[in-house]
Amino acid sequence: MNAGTLGKFLPNLLATSLSNPLAFAGFIIIIIIFSLSMLAPMIAPYDPNFINVKAILLPPSAAHWMGTDGLGRDVLSRMLYGGRISLLVGLVAVGISTAIGIILGSLAGFYRGWVDTVIMRLVDIMLSIPSFFLILAVIAFLTPSIINIMIVIGLTSWMGVTRLVRAEFLSLSEREFVTASRTLGAKNARLIFTHLLPNSLTPIIVSAVLGVAGAVLLESGLSFLGLGVQAPQASWGNILTDGKEYIQFAWWLSLFPGLAILITVLGYNLLGEGLRDALDPRSQNK
Amino acid sequence: MFLLFLTGCNAPSKPASEVNYDLNAPPTSGGTMINAMTGEPSGLISMIAGESASSAISSNIFNHLLKYDKNLELEGDLAESWQISADQKTIRFKLKPNLKWADNHPLTSADVLFTWQAVIDEKTASPYASDFQLVKKAETPDALSFVVTYDQAYAPALDSWAGLQILPKHLLEGQDLHTSAFAQKPIGSNFYQLDKWTHGEHLKLSRNPNSALGQAKIDYLITRIIPDNSAQFLELMADNIDLMGLDPIKFSRIIPARPELQKKLALYKELGNSYTYMGFNLKHKPFDDVRVRHAINYAIDKQEIIDGVYLGLGINIASPYKPGTRWSNPDLVPYPYDPDKARALLKEAGFTDSNGDGILERDGKTFSFEIITNQNKEREKSAVLIQRRLKEVGIDVRIRAIEWASFISRFIKTGDFDVVILGWGLGLDPDQYNIWHSSQQAPGQFNFIGYNNSTVDQLLEQGRLELDANKRQRIYHTFARILLEDSPIIYLSAGYGLTAIHKRVKGIDNPAPPAGIGHNSEEWYIPQSLRRNEITNH
Repeated sequence: MNAGTLGKFLPNLLATSLSNPLAFAGFIIIIIIFSLSMLAPMIAPYDPNFINVKAILLPPSAAHWMGTDGLGRDVLSRMLYGGRISLLVGLVAVGISTAIGIILGSLAGFYRGWVDTVIMRLVDIMLSIPSFFLILAVIAFLTPSIINIMIVIGLTSWMGVTRLVRAEFLSLSEREFVTASRTLGAKNARLIFTHLLPNSLTPIIVSAVLGVAGAVLLESGLSFLGLGVQAPQASWGNILTDGKEYIQFAWWLSLFPGLAILITVLGYNLLGEGLRDALDPRSQNK
Repeated sequence: MFLLFLTGCNAPSKPASEVNYDLNAPPTSGGTMINAMTGEPSGLISMIAGESASSAISSNIFNHLLKYDKNLELEGDLAESWQISADQKTIRFKLKPNLKWADNHPLTSADVLFTWQAVIDEKTASPYASDFQLVKKAETPDALSFVVTYDQAYAPALDSWAGLQILPKHLLEGQDLHTSAFAQKPIGSNFYQLDKWTHGEHLKLSRNPNSALGQAKIDYLITRIIPDNSAQFLELMADNIDLMGLDPIKFSRIIPARPELQKKLALYKELGNSYTYMGFNLKHKPFDDVRVRHAINYAIDKQEIIDGVYLGLGINIASPYKPGTRWSNPDLVPYPYDPDKARALLKEAGFTDSNGDGILERDGKTFSFEIITNQNKEREKSAVLIQRRLKEVGIDVRIRAIEWASFISRFIKTGDFDVVILGWGLGLDPDQYNIWHSSQQAPGQFNFIGYNNSTVDQLLEQGRLELDANKRQRIYHTFARILLEDSPIIYLSAGYGLTAIHKRVKGIDNPAPPAGIGHNSEEWYIPQSLRRNEITNH
């Protein structure tokens, strides 16, 4: 495959993977959650930040399908808007980590030698630090905000992609079509961008999809600890924190965001695993 | 030690839910009361620990010279009597006879002198030193007499002696209080002594047979360390702790809605000597402008915070004293909620919305600031309500909740903040020199908002020297009036202390007297039939 066929690659990838029932289920879940979040301004019954101190901690009812929180705000509306934050953080953070991973992995896999050694040792160092605590430590010194959260999650989770891309590059560079191009005088850039990278895309996409699930969980965890998205903005993690104190009484504050996180993460994992099954020749043979 | 609490098994024929905890039984000795705290004390010498976790435990172990009775009048604790000289500079304390430490060693005026020397010692670096450094001379004419002389009359003197826990000289002489093992294994003179301290788990106190003031009723006090409030509440519901402080939602919504909890928990509310406020960093623009502070005060609906966050369990105040006490100036009224007046004042201060985005600007800068607070649900919610109200008058507010330790060290001590939401817990004496006097602005001192008013400085200095209660009252009423006019802080609410105590614990005064429900805790008792069965395996 070269860059010219990339235009057909993605639709093909989607078609192949959606024939896998698990991936299809994951895809549908994600589409639904995405649509709900994107349509939040149209479908949310209330302003997510509208405070009504006369209606605090109301259980689910016809007026408030998911009840109200400790300041009388409508939980359904906050869930819909919170979904945007969770998904945005997931996508941007993974975008950052994948970009870094591709660049470093390509450099290491293509140039080898000391470049490879330096990059791989850096990966080893990063992997030896428990990433959640690293993120906690960094966030503690920055102002918690969506942008910082996205950057920090992105900057601390690129190591897997780097290893993956490097391994693909190492094995691809030994293949005949690469050797042939090189013999015909192709420049390094051409080799990387038209031959090696497009052929490494499959595992990168699988890892990115799975990575979004991890990032959504991380964001929820940080917001739960009060280090993520700040008030009054809603995110699933901080709705969950509000519910923690009253879990025996106001169960709706814990159940709905918990379910939303669970379903979203499940959706991304199903899609990721399904993609891998559909695209990996080894599992196809089974 | 392995402790197993089998709850509700006192009457094997009845399930726990049917035990009638409302029964009346005469006071008896024995039993165990379990409470919980979120933080573990660093040590039990409270003059160096300076934290509430430490003094909550050590006050059961150590005595003071004086203490407060249920109506907050001073009475003798170790002291039998005290006399103040005619020039009001000398106080002569007479100790009760035959006092003993828990290890049977006699307790004498030498111990009191030793404690005073320790608290003023620079090596001790006690946060309470300043009160005692004003003592010019301390003497022990005999084993039962302790005489202190001040350079000039010092009004909070007696209160300060009611706050100093007396330490044993024979165990601490020549030791460094900061490194002494005594902080982990204290010997005191009060109703209880430390039995066992399992770090990270619990502290167990047992009755001190040598107690200076007679015997407490309950045999053991166990304090469990449970860092998370919701976990504490689960333990309270599961009958594994007997006592805990509650937030307003648990107090007025959760427990009343659950009959099985109502059956076993009694709720107590007492107006605390504390208030929540929003404070401006007066060194930052535009908060140096009194019109801006007034405008923000008018723009915030305090009653909405009290109703919405504290569920009505709070009082809108106008002076920094407990409402209803003589120090609280009854003529002062809180700033009403008046957004139009707020807008007019902001306009007068030069703020206009020149670009029509709904947010005011002055000199090309938008009026936008950050409220910081510690991770306290009520304060965070108050901040969200304030954020909305200020947006309505054109001020953009961001909110940031920060973990306590870094909140204090990174923001409060460095002065790196615009606006804080915090609370003051106050002593019983009206002296608030260390909070408001302009000299108290060094890092770590309490006037971190940078309040500076020479009239207030003078009043605070006079108030410390004035022993006539009526004159003192006038001084502090004037002080509170100037403070309200200056609005360096906005009073949000004086909140109630809310406590749930298991109904097995009897002898608690309800409604709470001025000194609070804890004032007679040594008289609390647990009737035999309501005790937990405890299997202890030492």
